[in-house]
Amino acid sequence: MATIGADLVRQMAAGDRDAFSVFYDRYAPVVFPLILRIVRERADASDVLQEVFWEAWRDAPGYDASRGTPEAWMVMRARTRAIDRIRSTRRRSETFVAPLDENLAAAPRDSAPDAAERASNRGTIITALDRLPEAQREVIELAYYAGLTQTEIAERIKQPLGTVKTRIRLGLERLREMVKTPS
Amino acid sequence: MSHMNHEPYETLAATYAVGALDGQDLVDFERHLADGCDVCQAALRESAETLATLARSRPPMIPPPAVKEELLRRIAAAPVPQSAARPRPRPLVWAVGTVAAVIAGAAFTGAFVASRYEAQLGVMARETAALRARVEREEAALREQLAVYRSAADLLRDPQAQVVTLRGLGPSPEATARVIWHPANGGYLFVANLPAAPAGKAYELWTIGDAAPQPAGLFQVDASGRAAHRIAPVEGGKPVKVFAVTLEVEGGVPKPEGPMVLASAK
Repeated sequence: MATIGADLVRQMAAGDRDAFSVFYDRYAPVVFPLILRIVRERADASDVLQEVFWEAWRDAPGYDASRGTPEAWMVMRARTRAIDRIRSTRRRSETFVAPLDENLAAAPRDSAPDAAERASNRGTIITALDRLPEAQREVIELAYYAGLTQTEIAERIKQPLGTVKTRIRLGLERLREMVKTPS
Repeated sequence: MSHMNHEPYETLAATYAVGALDGQDLVDFERHLADGCDVCQAALRESAETLATLARSRPPMIPPPAVKEELLRRIAAAPVPQSAARPRPRPLVWAVGTVAAVIAGAAFTGAFVASRYEAQLGVMARETAALRARVEREEAALREQLAVYRSAADLLRDPQAQVVTLRGLGPSPEATARVIWHPANGGYLFVANLPAAPAGKAYELWTIGDAAPQPAGLFQVDASGRAAHRIAPVEGGKPVKVFAVTLEVEGGVPKPEGPMVLASAK
């Protein structure tokens, strides 16, 4: 499957616009929900999506299949651009500063809802992330979806920096195991 | 150093993979990567694939068709990307194209002249790259602005949208503002003639219905006293009777405390 995607990127690098169209149809539905989850506004998410695919077209010649699948290439771009967008809006304070995560903001940590409840709150299916222990899920969400750095996370959850980094590592390791052997 | 104890780098690699590394840790880790650590490169690749799988495990969503249309338009108008065989950026290639004739002439005159032009070519390439970066930055800012105006215009086309006028009060009688408001989709606040908030302060918008005023975001005005601010829809689509702006501490407050500077009539 991944090779089809890699072929598409190669064709894009050669200037094949039809290949871009197929590539878009294939990956936009995957990265759009991720962008929307980060930036929250549909209009912003559409902007970021356009930027991300524009850059993919522009940077297609630099894509190296030995360094990752096109999917990982696009997901990383999408996450980075979406975080850039929320950081710049936060800086300019033009936009409503939403709580970083309603679930985190609403639920005191000791009575955190369980995975199924969290997932249904968000109206989504249960992902591997929801099955992580709460302490690990929390730090990964704050980093990956809310764009906080390790120092900001440590301040926010009132834990030492070392604990934050260890939780991220353990959480990511466990995620990796879970997506390798989906239950 | 790197082969003495690699374990700390594995923790840094994980934090780097979720984009959270900062400070000295970030400097150290990037230096370690630059030294060519294959173990960390592999760990980063694997983390990126894990996060991609996680993204794919959520239900897919079809984005608005306008995004693809616009992209196809842009691509049709843009030059074709350069082949992967050329490792370095396009500006150089572009410059090569435009001064090809000059190079040819120089080669005719003599090899040392050609080398002078090549040096000049390098300068031109750098200048082109800088110019291009600036144009791209400006383009991004304009696109962002355009997106706001476009969404506001879309909103206005909806018969359910209302336009509400806010008038300056107390400290800023000259200020004016309009809200384009849609009960289900939220809207935009456009402000003019409002003085810049003092240091450490920001303007906060409130929506007032039957219950207590609800915070609707913080904003600053630009040098000309103007601002455009996106307003999220009110939870449950409850009607808004009054829009008001107060001057508050920079981080915002849950209930209005500061002086009211703009308000709509009831």
